[in-house]
Order: sequence, then C-alpha cells, then structure tokens
Amino acid sequence: MVKNLKWVAFLLLALGFGAFVFSQKPPSQRKYQDRIEVRFWHRWGGEWAKVVADIAERYNQSQTKYEVVPLSVPGSGADAKLTLGIIGGNPPDVMSMWNGAIPSLASNGLLTPLEEVMSPADQDRFMNESYPVIRDSGRFGGKTYGVTIGSDLYALYVNEEHLKELGLNVEDFPKTLEGVCELGNRLNKTDANGNLTRLGFLLNSFSFVAYNFGPGFYDPVSESLSLNTAENLRALEFITEERRKIGFERVTRFQAGLNTGSDTGGWPFITGDLSITIDGQWRVEEIRKYRPDMKYRVIPIPPPAKNGRGMGGTISGNFMVIPTSAKQKEGAWDFIRFWSGFADKEASARCFNDGGWLPLFPDLVETKTFQAWLKQGPEFQGFIDILSSENCLPMPPVPYLQFLNDQIGRAEDQAVRGTLSPKSALEKLSYTVAEEQRKRKALGYEE
Amino acid sequence: MKPGRTNNVTGYLFIAPWLIGFFVFTFIPFLQSIYLSFTRYNIITPPRWVGFANYQMLLTQDELFWKSALVTVKFAVIHVPLAVVVGVCLALLLNREVKGIAAYRTIFFLPSIVPTVATSVVFLWILNPTTGLINNLLRNFGIQGPAWLNDPFWAFWALVIMSLWGVGGSMVIYLAGLKDIPVHLYEAAIIDGATPIKRLRHVTLPMLSPVIFFNLVMGVIGAFQYFTQAYVMTPNGGPQDSTLFYSLYLFNRAWKYYDMGYASAMAWILFLIVVTLTAIVFRSQKKWVHYG
Repeated sequence: MVKNLKWVAFLLLALGFGAFVFSQKPPSQRKYQDRIEVRFWHRWGGEWAKVVADIAERYNQSQTKYEVVPLSVPGSGADAKLTLGIIGGNPPDVMSMWNGAIPSLASNGLLTPLEEVMSPADQDRFMNESYPVIRDSGRFGGKTYGVTIGSDLYALYVNEEHLKELGLNVEDFPKTLEGVCELGNRLNKTDANGNLTRLGFLLNSFSFVAYNFGPGFYDPVSESLSLNTAENLRALEFITEERRKIGFERVTRFQAGLNTGSDTGGWPFITGDLSITIDGQWRVEEIRKYRPDMKYRVIPIPPPAKNGRGMGGTISGNFMVIPTSAKQKEGAWDFIRFWSGFADKEASARCFNDGGWLPLFPDLVETKTFQAWLKQGPEFQGFIDILSSENCLPMPPVPYLQFLNDQIGRAEDQAVRGTLSPKSALEKLSYTVAEEQRKRKALGYEE
Repeated sequence: MKPGRTNNVTGYLFIAPWLIGFFVFTFIPFLQSIYLSFTRYNIITPPRWVGFANYQMLLTQDELFWKSALVTVKFAVIHVPLAVVVGVCLALLLNREVKGIAAYRTIFFLPSIVPTVATSVVFLWILNPTTGLINNLLRNFGIQGPAWLNDPFWAFWALVIMSLWGVGGSMVIYLAGLKDIPVHLYEAAIIDGATPIKRLRHVTLPMLSPVIFFNLVMGVIGAFQYFTQAYVMTPNGGPQDSTLFYSLYLFNRAWKYYDMGYASAMAWILFLIVVTLTAIVFRSQKKWVHYG
C-alpha cells in the first residue's frame, strides 16, 4: 500500500512538473502589444545584432501602427532557414538576405515582387533615383525582389604609417595594379626563417578583381554568362602570378595565423599585420570605433596598366526580401521604406551610418546626418565614389548564382595553388557551369 | 482478449511514441525520397517526374559526384580499420586492473560525448598552421608542421586523425566484450602454455569478434555518412575538394542549390552502397566471427 502511494506521489509530481514546464511561455519580445507585429529576421549576430535591434526600435518609435520584432538568424544556412520557414507556413514578414541568394529564391517563387507593395511614387524613386548597381542587385527577371538596407563594396585600405617606413606618402600611391603589388612586396616583413610577419599586399578575390580587368562574368547584351574571356584570363593570370611571387605556402601559413574576428577590433589591418588590403566599407566604422587614431586611406583598386577599368567592382550585401507567404507585407514594406530611404531621409541615413553600410540613394549621402558622419570617417567617401562608377556592376543575375560563385572560387583556388594553369582553370570553370546549365535545362529548371 | 495478445498490445502502446516518430519522421520520408530521386524537386514547387535523369547525370556528367565518392571511400578504407585497431588496443589497455583504471576509462571515453561541433571548433585551433597546438609542439623539435586544413594532402589526414578522437565510444563496447570473455578460457590457455600474444590471437580476438563485427558494421555506415566535422571545418570541401565528402556534397546540393531530387538520387546511391557493403560484411562473418 505504502509502495503504491509512493508511486502515485511520484507520478503526480512528474505530471505537475511537466504541466509547469509546458505551461511556461517564452518571454514575449513584444513591447507594443496593441500594434501589428512585423517579424523581421536578419543575419547579424553579436555587436551587429544590437545595431539592428536599435534600428528596429527607432522604427517602432517613429510610428504607431506596426511593431517590428527582430530575430537574429545568423550563419551560412540563413536562406535554408527562410525556405523551411516558408514551407512550414511560418515565415518572417521580412528578412535581410544576402543578395546572392535572391535569384535562386526568386526563381523558386519564394519571394514577393516588391512592385506589389510599392506605391507608384516608391517605384519611381527606386527605379530612377537609386544607385543602378545596388538597384539591379536586388532585381531578377525584370522584377524587384530585394531592396538594400546596407550594401557592401571593396577597395584598398592603406596603412599610411607603413608607407612612411619606406619614405613614401599616400599621395604617391601607385596608379596601377602592378605598382600596388610591387609596393606590397616592399612592405612585406619576414622573420629569420623567411616566414611572413607582415603582409604588404595580397591580390585575391578573383570574383571582385575581375571587374578591374573587364566587365566581369556576365554579358547584359546577350543576357548570358561570359566566364572564359580574355579579360578574366588576364585577371586570373595576374592574381596567380602575384601569389606565386610571394609564395603560396608562405601566404597560407601567415593568413591562417591571423585574427578573423570581424567585430572585435582584431582585424589584421588594424593590428598592423597587413599594410595594404582589399576589404569592405564597413571597416571604416570599425576603425573609427576601435582605432580612431589610425592613419589610413581608402583607395579604389587601381586598374592594371594596360586595358584596365578604373573604379571597377561589384556589390554584395543585405537586401530586404518579403516571402510570398508573409502575413504582414504592408508592415514589412513600411519598415523597408523607413530603413532604405523612401521615407524620412535623415532617419534612413542614420540607419546606414550605424552599420557603416552603403546607401541605396545618392541623396541620402547629402543629408545632414550622413555628412556629419562622413566628417568622422571621411575615408568612406572612397566607396561612395566607386558606387557611381559605370565599371561597378551587379553580380550575374542567374538563379544558380551560389553554384557559380562556388565555381569561380574553385577556379581561383586551382590556379593559385598551381593545380591548373589559369587558362585551364577558366576552361574548366566554363565547362562545369555549362554542364550545370545543361542539367538545369534537361530537368526543366529554367522553364 | 487472450493474455498474450494483451501483453502485445501493452508492449506496442509503450513503444507507440517511438513508432509514430519513426514512421512520420524516418520511414515515410525514406520512402518518399525514392520517388523524389526520380523528380526535379526544389522544395517549393511540386516535384516533376524526370525519370532516371538525376541518376544518369550523377553517374555520367557530375565530376564532383565521383570526387566526393572517392574521398568517402578512401576515408572509409582508412578510418574503419584504424578505429577498430585503436579501439581494441585501448580497450585491452584499459582492461587491466591497475590503480585508477576507472579514471583512465573515463578520460578516454569523455571525448566521445563532447558534441561534434564543439570538438571540430577545438580542432580548428589545434590544427592551425601558425598558432595551433600540434605545429607549436612540432616547432619545439625544429619541425615545421604542415598547413593542415589548407593543404590538399593534410586536410584529409587531419580529418582522419580527428575521427579517432571519438573512438572512446566503441572502446567502451570492446571493454564490455572483454569483460564477457570467460576467465576459464584464459586459465586453460595458460595451462596449455599459451603466451600473452597467443592468448590474444586465439582467445581474446575470437571471443571479441562479435563486438568487433558490430563496431565494423556501425563504422562502415558511419564512415559513409561522415559529415559534421567536414562541414564545420571545411564547409566548401577543403582545398582542391580534398575533404568534399559524399554527404557534404549531398547537403550542398540539397540545401545550398535547392536540388532535392538530385540530392535524393545521391542519397539512394549512398544507401545502396552502404547496404551492399554491410551485406558483404555480414556474409563474411561466418569466416571470422565466433559466437561463444
């Protein structure tokens, strides 16, 4: 009898505990319960997530109808999480997505064409007043699927102190890519064993540098990829040769020992491990935060001496997308308007400044807020100048862009390692992508 | 209702939560993937029948398919025997009755219960060519260690070495198998004048063979599904695709390129390979596995 009572008591206790656990609701993230909720997923974590949360809060305070609730979904699988959210019937209302994923998501019918939620005035401003390269990076198949809340662009960061060691001023900075590489070699430092202790300059990122040699990987006239071109071959040969000069193994070892932290002030350029490096515009804000005393310059990657294209490049970054099955599309668009510069320009400029992101509209740069911020980090202007260049082009608008980018990276890796010659690497790239195109066609993907 | 039948119903009711979960989340998707492997399917739009096109393209046009299959087979051929040998050796060492043996067993078992992702991240540091533990140790002896995950040759071997980190799990099973070997067999062997090596060869290993067989089967299946470590440490398949494991390529096809039909075909080819190899191992057991 006593034994049975013990069992009953145990069961009751277990049931009570279970009921307590399952009755607990997670703490609500809602602050304005009476408003319409707009669920916003983004890919930032750490310090950046706080910046985004602040922007969302400013939006919430700017109006009384909607409440944007941000959720950090960091990691490389963000697009897969979005897809699963959509399939599971529980997508966010708006998500900040890497623009490279837009063609694939749009071609699969996952994204809302933003023309559905834009007013005619918004459409007009978007099509006629934005930077073309940013505008087109969010478009696919003649429709707009993404609007930027912060685009990224690359240029050279030059440590002025390191130049002074060679008795040089930044005003004497080389005007050709060959000159930069030569200067980089002079800035290299090694230990007694010949290991690099400071890297002067390393030319890499074929997917970006190619735009300094030619029009990149896409021909807008024929609306097709142009991979194995003379310009791309020259770019890959150049990168390979420069890597060979410094020594592949030496660079690999040096790079492996570098801090890769992106928001902790440990960027190797800040710590002085790199003298000249190719990096994105958000680093201006990072330097301002962590090394405001640093003497540096931002300079567009100069073209090669022969047949080069100055101010070349391509953009990537964060674009707001609205899933097709989003419940609150109007609220989502209202938030995008606030951030991207369709509504209050000063408020929008502050959003872009908070993260050191490139704006969608040139007129945002003219705002008081942006100009005041530029005074604190004047090097940012270098990136804005590149944005207006006709040689700054969007990535190829193909639905298999992820695959293409992987293959371009693979071609560069094969060439710099010496596994294949640059020519063979490009031929292989072209062949592999053509095979993928054939496969997609045979399986009916492009219908 | 007859008592036997009542017992059956009770038994099924007890395992019902697992059965439901198994059918809903494993068995039905398993069957569905057969159909999906004959379709073009991107998760969002309905699957479209394409016959054997996925299989045909995989086998005739996809260079990465063959590369990833080769990497995986190579890994299985090296890792599985190595894991068995290391596991058995560790179990033999930890089967000795010495002071503090429980602590030693715990120490060797602990790594196998550490989450794989955490282990992988730690190994990323250990294998760093400049600041990593291994190369720092080698430097003390005047040796410049390899670039590990940045080197096409060493990246593969780094993952092989790392795979032995979790051998503690099988070691415990071997240890349990060793404890089950009747002492009288050793006593008889000693009386017959068998040396320790002969006792190992003619008593321990034959009596342990059912456990080795079990671990071998599980090892083969695990090796062909090797994914997490490769994904965390070399998400793009490593330098020159040296760590592009089959499951990693399958995952990329499914979740990076939204090619679910193609990935399903890959999964079924993998399944057939694993089933065939398991069947071969099962057939071979008559020759080397001794039950009692």
